Amino acid sequence: MTTGVYADQLGPPGRRLRVVATLTGGALLLAGTIAGTDDDFPFGPFRVYASANKLDAPVADTRIEGVDTAGQRLTLTEAETGIRRAEIEGQSDRFTAAPARLSTVATAYERRNPDAAPLTAIVVVVRWHEVRDGRPTGQYHDETRAVWQR
Amino acid sequence: MAAVTAWLFEPVPRARVARFRTLVYLFVAADLVVFTPWVRHHGQVPADFYRPLLLGRLLHLPTPTPLLVDTVFWLLLVAACAAATGRAPRALGWTVFVLYSEWMVVAMSYGKVDHDRFALLVALAALPTAGPARHRDTTLTQRGGWALRVTQLAAVAVYFLSAWAKLRFGGLDWLTGATLNWALLRRGTALGQLLTEAPGLLVAAQFGILTFELLSPLVFVVPRRWRYLPVGFFYAFHLSVFATVTISFIPQQIALASFLPLERLALPRRSDPRPPLAGGGVADSVGAARQGTRGGAAR
Repeated sequence: MTTGVYADQLGPPGRRLRVVATLTGGALLLAGTIAGTDDDFPFGPFRVYASANKLDAPVADTRIEGVDTAGQRLTLTEAETGIRRAEIEGQSDRFTAAPARLSTVATAYERRNPDAAPLTAIVVVVRWHEVRDGRPTGQYHDETRAVWQR
Repeated sequence: MAAVTAWLFEPVPRARVARFRTLVYLFVAADLVVFTPWVRHHGQVPADFYRPLLLGRLLHLPTPTPLLVDTVFWLLLVAACAAATGRAPRALGWTVFVLYSEWMVVAMSYGKVDHDRFALLVALAALPTAGPARHRDTTLTQRGGWALRVTQLAAVAVYFLSAWAKLRFGGLDWLTGATLNWALLRRGTALGQLLTEAPGLLVAAQFGILTFELLSPLVFVVPRRWRYLPVGFFYAFHLSVFATVTISFIPQQIALASFLPLERLALPRRSDPRPPLAGGGVADSVGAARQGTRGGAAR
């Protein structure tokens, strides 16, 4: 074992407190994994890439497009709006249910780019890449999920 | 039972705790500025986008505004840099823990939760209790030992419970499915895109990943002479994930450093070394600790 002077020996109360904290944290994490959701952060299930995708199922690639007053079409990434792609995907059911909510994306864009031409339209597009036997065929089609116009 | 608690409280040199502490708090500062600068942008995102996590609702945390987010950002940056020096470990440690937790609520309450920092949060919760420690002090500490041990446990739990989540959400189909293919098609590097040409290899990799995650707790029982082998494997895994889909899991990598004998890293020699902290009623702690350093290096 390591040689050295021994200090900081824990007494029974200090040990008890730490054992309880360890067990509580472990129990919460286990419960979150078994029955929790992302909402229970940080104890929710570690579900990153945990879903099974079928080998022949098309692969979705979401993007947000904006059209400004000059008629220019631009892709709105995190750099333009402060909203991550996965965050748009995570809330996409809210946008399909009420596309008017997309006006908040325009607001976010204008706050971050006060000198740019304002947006007149926002479109959520999902590009479906075709896959056969796990290989991309190079074919794709775009699906418009939600449209907002000023 | 006694063996389990002895293991949970296995003492480590204070130098290891001190160096891990510096690493963790420097990472927090770097996380704010370099690794996840997008969190700060959430202050400007309209409130309609805010879907507070359970934690935010329970604590009635305010909806982020530019003022709130900038205030937390600067306080946290200053507190983390101060905590990295090892001074006032309890007060600064808890300050960083509270501010970083709020920072996480700001980060994860907009429709996407990341799963890469559970072990880092455990380290931030445990380090304030680890007691004072200096970078060259070889005195053994049980408080510090527990803090490192729970960080290790959390880091390994992340792997093991990731396997559990795959079985819960994907089922056994996950093994033969197209999850890696999907990930590579969406965000693969040049190397990653190349791998999509070999779907059989990707399915084999899925078997490999699930196996490694389920077996990760073995890191705690492998013979001492091989104990760094699994840790090296964990780092190699993150390196290959980064090389193929540019996901670094860097907070998890920082937490993994709790497995490493950081006290053996050579530091630049100081002309006038401060004596180590007095501890445990040891009269000649300077001499004893110096001897400890030699013993540590020779073993």
